[in-house]
Amino acid sequence: MASAGNNAGANGLRLGLAARLAFRELRGGLSGFYIFLACVALGTGAIAGVNSVSQMMTGSIASEGQTILGGDIRFESDNQDIGEAERTYVEELGTVSSGVNMRTMARKPDGSDQSLVELRAVDDVYPLYGGFETVPAMPIAELFAESDGSYGAAVAQIFLDRLGLSVGDSVLVGEANLEIRGVITAEPDALSEGFGFAPRLMISRAALDAAGLVRPGSLMEFSYRVRLDDGASARDLAALREEATSRFPDAGWSIRTSQNAAPSLTRNIERFSQFLTLVGLTALIVGGVGIANSVRAWLEGKRGVIATLKCVGAPSKLVVAIYLIQVMLIAAFGVLLGLAIGAATPFLAASALTGIIPISVNASFYPASLAVAAGFGLMTAFAFAVLPLGRAGEVPATALFRQQGFEASSLPRWPYLLVAGLTLAALCVAAIWFADDRRIAMVFVAAVIVAFAVLRLVGHAVQLIAKRWPAVRSTPLRLAIGNIHRPGALTPSVVLSLGLGLALLVTLALIDTNLRRELSGNLPDRAPNFFFVDIQSSEIEGFENVVMELAPEGKVIKVPMLRGRITQLKGEEVNADNVPSEARWVLRGDRGVTYAKNQPENSRLAEGEWWPADYQGEPLVSFSAEEAGEIGLSVGDTITVSVLGRSITARIANLREVEWESLSINFVMVFSPNTFAGAPHSWMATLSDPNADADAEGEVLRAVTQAFPTITSVRVKDALELANRLVGQIGIAIRAAALVALVASVLVLAGALAAGNRSRIHDAVVLKTLGATRATLIRAYVYEYGLLGLATAVFALAFGGVASWFVVSRIMTLPSEFMPDIAFMTLLGALILTVGIGLAGTWRVLGQKAAPVLREL
Amino acid sequence: MSQSPAKPIVTLRQANLTLGNGASSVHVLKGIDIDINESESVGIVGPSGSGKSTLLMVIAGLERLDSGEVHVADHPLHALSEDAVAAVRGRSVGIVFQSFHLIPNMTALENVAVPLELAGKANAFERAREELIAVGLGERLTHYPGQLSGGEQQRVAIARALAPDPVLIVADEPTGNLDGETGRQIADLLFAKQAERGTTLLLVTHDPVLAERCQRQIAVRSGRIVTGEEDHASAKAIA
Repeated sequence: MASAGNNAGANGLRLGLAARLAFRELRGGLSGFYIFLACVALGTGAIAGVNSVSQMMTGSIASEGQTILGGDIRFESDNQDIGEAERTYVEELGTVSSGVNMRTMARKPDGSDQSLVELRAVDDVYPLYGGFETVPAMPIAELFAESDGSYGAAVAQIFLDRLGLSVGDSVLVGEANLEIRGVITAEPDALSEGFGFAPRLMISRAALDAAGLVRPGSLMEFSYRVRLDDGASARDLAALREEATSRFPDAGWSIRTSQNAAPSLTRNIERFSQFLTLVGLTALIVGGVGIANSVRAWLEGKRGVIATLKCVGAPSKLVVAIYLIQVMLIAAFGVLLGLAIGAATPFLAASALTGIIPISVNASFYPASLAVAAGFGLMTAFAFAVLPLGRAGEVPATALFRQQGFEASSLPRWPYLLVAGLTLAALCVAAIWFADDRRIAMVFVAAVIVAFAVLRLVGHAVQLIAKRWPAVRSTPLRLAIGNIHRPGALTPSVVLSLGLGLALLVTLALIDTNLRRELSGNLPDRAPNFFFVDIQSSEIEGFENVVMELAPEGKVIKVPMLRGRITQLKGEEVNADNVPSEARWVLRGDRGVTYAKNQPENSRLAEGEWWPADYQGEPLVSFSAEEAGEIGLSVGDTITVSVLGRSITARIANLREVEWESLSINFVMVFSPNTFAGAPHSWMATLSDPNADADAEGEVLRAVTQAFPTITSVRVKDALELANRLVGQIGIAIRAAALVALVASVLVLAGALAAGNRSRIHDAVVLKTLGATRATLIRAYVYEYGLLGLATAVFALAFGGVASWFVVSRIMTLPSEFMPDIAFMTLLGALILTVGIGLAGTWRVLGQKAAPVLREL
Repeated sequence: MSQSPAKPIVTLRQANLTLGNGASSVHVLKGIDIDINESESVGIVGPSGSGKSTLLMVIAGLERLDSGEVHVADHPLHALSEDAVAAVRGRSVGIVFQSFHLIPNMTALENVAVPLELAGKANAFERAREELIAVGLGERLTHYPGQLSGGEQQRVAIARALAPDPVLIVADEPTGNLDGETGRQIADLLFAKQAERGTTLLLVTHDPVLAERCQRQIAVRSGRIVTGEEDHASAKAIA
């Protein structure tokens, strides 16, 4: 016994020997591992690709920070220009280029047509960085110069297309006559100007003044870009920003540096790529099922070798080590394939993005992104391979003498379970850790875990039902039902693999369709036809008359409109960092505020009471209930707002439920009328006319623009169409990502069905020997695959329905509906996949000659 | 030979083994006592399902007894862990199978070297080459099992079994998958090597001719030993 113990060391786990034997064994090639390779490569490739493209984009934005920002540092003030002291401070920093941005109407001189434009007025030194280009090329001074009472303008091509104009034609903006002298082909700092809602129209500051659009209450942005004389390091810029903020605490400006030139775009790219990474991870985890299946089937074939190794003295641990090394080598190969795909993606994406995004995107290799993807790929492969490998360690040496494999024992020993569990947990933690928004990542990971668990239960339930199903007359159906529940049936693999991919696809399809239906159908029906902004008090009456004359059936709602910024909450300075991210927008910069005698029609009081119509006491405010809850305000608290340079403290009288998605005029804050008594303000109005068609709307638009050139009219349908188009484009990207998960599903499904074919050959031959016809067998297989596909699709629909309902109705607070057409397509798709792939594989089985198989039995 | 003071290599005492669970369980070995001496060749015979292969597996440490004792080369296999049994097997027991069970992706040389490598021998490949030359396969060292005939594969298996210089060779129907002439050649080789090295040979076979070539036969029927009592008794006396 002692000598046995002494020699155990020689037979203990020796990695060198394990590796040597593993390499020798690998000479058999990769046959049986193609599904494994494809699953690992697909998931890794998706994650590597998404992250590389995201890194390329954010990297390009960062490296071109000065060009995108149009300076080293940018000061922006909404709706009112900065004060003298601030201007002096800014001008001392270096070369300054100032500009004004606003939305307004541009119309043809004959009044026959008009278009909303994103107007931008720039000075002579524009641009400080990068090149502004037009066709025909022209110096800025010449492009925008005044000549014969007409100012020069450069426009986006789409503007010309929309109004049927060409270079050399004239348009009117406000009270100014503009001559279109060029088409903009490059606007280097367009990205930092935010979302382009309408076509760009660029003019000089002088032209803007001539247009008479700068009036109290007008919605516009004043910006000052500075090129620091002696350049500046990142630290200098941060310090400068700090200095400007602390020196002018009441300036109300927002300051951006070239280090963070397009924060919202960067944030959106990061969020989107995080979402796509999670979808890629789902593909990888779906692929994990394929990995486990492949490893199990492969080790089943190695049973003899494992038993032989044990017979000649190999301990279990060495056997596991040999096969673990092989599996991880193949996984590493799959990861390399995936990384190759991922590394190539930015180069493909860069050429596709040229022209879509106004920055030069330079593709490169992104080792960090590739490393993250490789980590996920290897961890997934390991987590899913450990259990079958553990079972392989349990193969008894007697397997060489008796027909028994590792199917006999259902679970491997606890250390393998522990390792698999820990690796999966690490995978989840890593997925959450690398995520931009960890809360969403957690929900996503939880949903995948729940889906996994539920799918296992569904698989078991289907088998149980099949087992308990009363005897049926039809032989093929009886065979099919038997196949569903017999030991070693395909049911759990098929339900799990197809179920995950299909559930993800259904969820995303339902969210996308609900959202788009809302944008293209329901919302335009409920929303007003027009928004009108920048209506001066002197114009409001005339405006109303013009509109009512053309749309006598319509309803005009007009509200006073001021701009204000919250400076204090409950008597303390605002610190946006203490507020949840979803409510920060309320505290960021200027918000529209209004006052009202009576409670707005489209709102409901959640708490508190509305003030009397003739109220004259301390200023009161009605706050939106949801945002108040997020910020931590309740009835009786005070807020201080800065309006037109004046600080006003008001007490919260009540909280209102606001239905933002109704697209009616809504304000976070509605003040009691006495708060702003005598303050100059503009008006905002909506026109709702459910019977108005496109022609009638066109007529209103023309008449209003003609009579009041400085009023900005937004046709809601145009805005929604644009939103719909954007959602559509994002939807395509999301669906493409979901498709990757579905492809992984199909791969796994194909793998599972192929693995099942081995036992099918045996069964089919025996059944044929006993008199079964080919037709009987085909029917049996169609029933079996059809029933499995049906059960999986029903699960996917139920899961997708619940998940999409949660997202649409709870997170987006939009009405959520179940779509019968998507349900039908899912069922059809699942059936085509299971029956199609299943039959394609079994066709060979049916053609099998009995004799050779029987000889082997 | 039964009179010589030979040292027992294999000893079984009250060996009991039941396979399967519940209603499907079969009491395969029923209180078996055996002593097999050093350098002895013993044929285990009996009808299908009598338990002879299971007996071989117990002796090779591939199957664990429910009760009783099994000692091989002084190691109490019944009391050792699975890995310790694997170590004893690797060093002291060579196994030859009916279906050869070579590892398909390894050459003849590598197949023979595996047990030596597992035992941590430095000159594993040199020894493996010598063993293969000794069984007449010096020209087939780099061939894979698929490139060898059945007889050649069994020679490789014999070389693999002999390579670690075991004290005991167990062979389960070693000629069962071979034609008559090849089977005879393999049997000749097996007995020649056993005699040459003084190894103990334990052979399970249906073939009476092969069984006859052994010094002693043990017949198993329904999990019990039914003949060879004399030898058994004398072996016990020696023990």
